[in-house]
Amino acid sequence: MKRIDGADLIDRLGIGFIIALAVLALALLLLPAVIVVVMSFDTRGYISFPPVGFTLDWYVKVFNQPVLVDAMWTSIKVGLYVTALCIALGVPTALACARGDFRGATALSVFVLVPHMVPGIVLGVAVLFSGALLGIGPSIWLQSVSLSVYVMAVMVRTVMARLQRLDPLLEQASANLGASRWQTFRIITLPLLLPAILAGAVFTFIEGVDNLSVTIFTHGYRDRPLPIELLAIVQNSNSPLVAAVSSVQIMLAVLALLAISLTIGLDRVNE
Amino acid sequence: MTRRPLLLRLVDELLSGRGIWPAVPAIVVLVVVAVIPFGVLLSLGFSDIVVSRGVIVSQELSLRHLTTALADPLYHTTFRRSLTLALTTTFFCSLLGFPVAYLFLIGGPWVRRIILVLTIAPILTSGIVRTYAWIVILGGRGVVNATLMEFGLISQPLRIINTHWAVLIGMVQIHLPIMILPLIAVMSRHDSRLEEASANLGASRLATLRTIILPLSVPGLGTGAALVFTLSYTTFVVPQLLGGGNYLNAATMVYEQVVYSLEWSKGAVTAMILMATCLAVLLVFAWLTHIGTRWTRVAQR
Amino acid sequence: MITAAAPFPAAGTAEAAPVVAIRDAVKRFAGLTVLDRCSLVAQEGEILTLLGSSGCGKTTLLRCIAGFLTPDGGEILIDGKDTIPVPVNRRSVGVVFQSYALFPHLTVATNVGYGLRMRGVPATEIGRRVAQALQTVSLTGFEERYPAQLSGGQQQRVAIARVLVLEPRVLLLDEPFNALDAKLRGTMQMEMRQLIKRLGITAIFVTHDQEEALTMSDRIAVMRAGRIEQLDTPEAVFDRPASAYVADFVGASNFWNGLASQGRVVLPDGQGVPTALDGEVRVMLRPHNVLIEPAGADQAGWRGNVRFRRHVGALMEYEVELSDGASLRVVALRDETLARIDVGDRVALGLRDPAACIAFPRA
Repeated sequence: MKRIDGADLIDRLGIGFIIALAVLALALLLLPAVIVVVMSFDTRGYISFPPVGFTLDWYVKVFNQPVLVDAMWTSIKVGLYVTALCIALGVPTALACARGDFRGATALSVFVLVPHMVPGIVLGVAVLFSGALLGIGPSIWLQSVSLSVYVMAVMVRTVMARLQRLDPLLEQASANLGASRWQTFRIITLPLLLPAILAGAVFTFIEGVDNLSVTIFTHGYRDRPLPIELLAIVQNSNSPLVAAVSSVQIMLAVLALLAISLTIGLDRVNE
Repeated sequence: MTRRPLLLRLVDELLSGRGIWPAVPAIVVLVVVAVIPFGVLLSLGFSDIVVSRGVIVSQELSLRHLTTALADPLYHTTFRRSLTLALTTTFFCSLLGFPVAYLFLIGGPWVRRIILVLTIAPILTSGIVRTYAWIVILGGRGVVNATLMEFGLISQPLRIINTHWAVLIGMVQIHLPIMILPLIAVMSRHDSRLEEASANLGASRLATLRTIILPLSVPGLGTGAALVFTLSYTTFVVPQLLGGGNYLNAATMVYEQVVYSLEWSKGAVTAMILMATCLAVLLVFAWLTHIGTRWTRVAQR
Repeated sequence: MITAAAPFPAAGTAEAAPVVAIRDAVKRFAGLTVLDRCSLVAQEGEILTLLGSSGCGKTTLLRCIAGFLTPDGGEILIDGKDTIPVPVNRRSVGVVFQSYALFPHLTVATNVGYGLRMRGVPATEIGRRVAQALQTVSLTGFEERYPAQLSGGQQQRVAIARVLVLEPRVLLLDEPFNALDAKLRGTMQMEMRQLIKRLGITAIFVTHDQEEALTMSDRIAVMRAGRIEQLDTPEAVFDRPASAYVADFVGASNFWNGLASQGRVVLPDGQGVPTALDGEVRVMLRPHNVLIEPAGADQAGWRGNVRFRRHVGALMEYEVELSDGASLRVVALRDETLARIDVGDRVALGLRDPAACIAFPRA
């Protein structure tokens, strides 16, 4: 039999309260998504809770809207450009920051991270203005380049963290066994960095697709990306079509999550 | 002796990783796309310009926009509103985020997995979609009103959306994962035996939470708070969608000045003030975190 | 006073209740039985060691006593009272962790005073008792340091002071020397034993290192697969192991396969080892119990060829290959004769003391 006295009771109540708060927070994170998905199957032409029927029409409509489909393709393209740029620029930078013994290596690693700490809208406005000075108008390219600058920090940071945990003896051992530096990089270092690059790539891609703060100032008027279209339809429409578009997004996020947990593991995302 | 192709030798040199130059392309891009634009932004804030067809045609030095902005009562109310909203959001995110991180700390593998899924999934989803969910919940025919009316608690739908409360709820929910992740990262780095040691020495779970876990989480709280503040201070999605057109915060102001009214100098000034105030608050956060983590530095000496 | 804090019945009296009594403790993790009806008694003021290889359940048992784990069955009594309903933070059991688990954000003084603070002891009293505890472990003057500013040995002493200040009924030590380097380990083992003995605390100590167990303990409990294989003094565990497993785990052993009949096993040198067993047996021969000398021309008796030899300080160790292909380890003090025996030489073997050999049934 467990004895429960005053102090014990207070302890239990206190911890119970904290766990209740945690559960509330988790419910708060989950429920909105569930509700959106539920509403996306409603048969009525406007959002009203609770739903009265079940239909997949809204999903069919989503994929029959050329505006939305085009926006999706544009965003996927931007996501790929951003990811490619971030890998091409970020991975060598991470190598230089983590391994370099030149003066200012620390300063460099801070410098690379700064654009991500600046509010996105400030960067967006700044890029828009300086483009205007040079006669470069907003376009899918301006958007991709400025987004890359904005999120490259994520790639540099994840790859650097991995590099710092990597045993430098591995590369020395490889050299000692007769491998050239290129062979060492290709056979030893790169495979060991791959999980980090992959993790970075997931996030740069997502940012390329979803970012609004930089995108809104730099996107091309003809190549309108998904977040811009989404913002417009959410502001102007009350039909379950929006819920269906949102549900598609949520399902894509769940798929991405599944991919992450199968490749690099959920618990390592946070490193 | 084998002659190695020039390209391979070049690659070798590059991969030795001792020099700065693998980073050179990135540095060039960063200078062109971030450093110079910030300079341009500053210069625009301090000058009068004429824009024609998206291109600046004339520019001359002036402090007019800055002084007007600093004297403008609209700026005062807007920035005060944005600051209050962002700080309140940060506060509530810490209040809800810390318990989740604590649950992660004491929970089993399944609890941990659920927490990770529920915090990472929103980060992978568009902020617009997540804000939209709140329109569905808080709207006139939304979940809350429908439920309240179903139980006969109200006869008319409450006006929740387009109020300050709707904005705050949306802000907290959308930025919560950003608070939880750094907290979890910091907590899972500490020796799990610390809590056992604390209990063994006679501390109740609540006392362990207060005297051991909370002080050790300060670095995570600091990081989380800085991230949540920066994002919530400079977002316009939530205020635009949940506050209705009439909820003006600093970010929305920048957007309207730049995109709608094309007052670029004004927009540059607003963006500058936004960044400066943001930095000031972050410095205060950093200073508080610094005080809270004195032990880590004393120990290094 | 820490040293005077033992108002308990004197140790050694026949009626003295054991300080810790474990009866039939069972603990399973995901279907795996880690503690298998494990029973154990620790007497007043003794240092009892749980010795075993990793996975034998010794740490699980320790964590059950501390209350971090609840056994699935059985009883854990402290001073005759069941502890299982007592929450972790109300047990009079002090734990010194393998990693020490010092609170990194608290100074040495606040670390040591932590338990007193949790018990609501007034600040002045805490200061006095912390100073005293730090004096006991010779760390006076380190009050304001943080754990990261201390050496490994100092950290360990803070961890000990932190539990001693609470005057626990039982002290539990979970491989506390693991984090120390080999040289410091020896010193700390002796210091720790002297300190515990001086304070008269009952201590249960977990290790996988048999030498550490032999140095530290009054009694050793050799654990295997969740059970206590043997519980006895270090001498008895070494000289009269209860099983072939113990014989092998504590101290090096040779095993010789033979046949027992009429109460004895006859070894190749002709001497007999008394045994109650009958039939196939394994006889434990300690390496130092085997005599070795250069074999003369005569081929009779127990013979073998030296396959390997090495110097271990003042001792010589040989590995001798016997005619049946088995090999035997022999350890002896080095002298002129032994120094001449080299790899490949033929040697004559004998037994120093047949009574020190023990026969076990063949598995």
